[in-house]
Amino acid sequence: MIASVDSAALLELVWAAPLAAIIVVTAWGLVVYGTTRAGEARRNGQSASAALHVAIATVGGALFVAAIVLGLIVTTAKG
Amino acid sequence: MDSDIILVIVVATALAFDFTNGFHDTANAVATSISTRALAPKTAVTLSAILNFVGAFISIKVAATVASGIVDADLITTTVIFAGLIGAITWNLVTWYFGLPSSSSHALIGGVVGAAFAASGPAAILGGGLLEKVIVPALVAPIVAFLTAGICILITYRMVGRLRPGSVNRGYRRGQIVSASLLSLSHGTNDAQKTMGIITLALIAHGTLEGPSPDPPFWVIVSAASAIALGTYSGGWRIIRTMGSKIYKMDPAQGFAAQGGGAAVLLTASHLGFPLSTTHSITGAVLGAGAAKSLSAVRWGLAGNIAVAWVLTLPAAAAVGAVTYGVSRIFGTGALGPLLISVSLLALITAMFGQRLRHGAPIAPPPPPTPAPADR
Repeated sequence: MIASVDSAALLELVWAAPLAAIIVVTAWGLVVYGTTRAGEARRNGQSASAALHVAIATVGGALFVAAIVLGLIVTTAKG
Repeated sequence: MDSDIILVIVVATALAFDFTNGFHDTANAVATSISTRALAPKTAVTLSAILNFVGAFISIKVAATVASGIVDADLITTTVIFAGLIGAITWNLVTWYFGLPSSSSHALIGGVVGAAFAASGPAAILGGGLLEKVIVPALVAPIVAFLTAGICILITYRMVGRLRPGSVNRGYRRGQIVSASLLSLSHGTNDAQKTMGIITLALIAHGTLEGPSPDPPFWVIVSAASAIALGTYSGGWRIIRTMGSKIYKMDPAQGFAAQGGGAAVLLTASHLGFPLSTTHSITGAVLGAGAAKSLSAVRWGLAGNIAVAWVLTLPAAAAVGAVTYGVSRIFGTGALGPLLISVSLLALITAMFGQRLRHGAPIAPPPPPTPAPADR
């Protein structure tokens, strides 16, 4: 019974994990950025800017949820 | 009859190890959330316990790899596994006492390796497997997590660094609820499988299961999930303090980046069937998120102590495993040795916890941190 952690799997870990994390962190960053800027724009009476930043936050939120759901599906699928 | 009693003792000891694993590694999932006030301490451990339980059902890929490849399965007996588990539990308790986050997985592997060595000599140890499954992952996990969290926090600061801190901190605290949940889920997925793997190995050694690497039975999955969830719920507050605020005082964005980076590394590793240590991954991520902001903010002396504990984990657990096996054999090959050792260890743990409770020391959750001026 020889262990078999192949180098291909190791290499996949080295690129896939940071990529997944960057996507999740960037997506949440868009949510935080969008909601914060939208709040500031609303306070300054800039409704167009507020709508734009709400849209950015929504896109970020959708990307965040999609990335997590996809990650869980991929992890579960091969279990 | 004796082998049946030993099997029962081994399963009970494995579940006790799983409990200490949850107890010891709770910090990995919740420490940064508690430290940044994203979650109240009790809420954090409750959420983490539930998700550890759920996570244990997600995958059994790592269970299959833990049960093979490091020691020669033909030379493994239930007594060897028992001794290995005692080695792992002992090391987990020692590192918990000193508040040091160390790998429960490596403690488990070290304990089994030491016991197998004592039972059958060097022939029982598969050096290649040890290198590929322990040494290489031990180097890879913290480095990948360190770099991942470092890149993540730099991206985060680039995106939100010039915005109002109060609003940004609130946003990242909300994000931390998700990232802590993800980390708890990945911990349950990754670590509960190790206990499943070791019980499966015991069932193979006993002759209950057959085949080169059979899947763990359903009752093994449920009991391992329950034990790690209960351990998590109990909360190892000493290590939570170390991880949450002693390495450096992190802000919510750093906590989110550390948890997100650690969870990504662990879930990817689970997907690939790569038995990484959750502790190494999240500690690497916590250090990465801190160092990327400011190298001097990280308490490198404490990080050095943690690294020393990591290096010592395998040999120390192996030594305890080997001694336990030797002591057990003094009483013959029957159930008497494991039974006496189990009772002695249980008495020791009860005395240790009883003494701490009497002195009112740190089994309780940490007090809530003081809010930062920018958050008020």
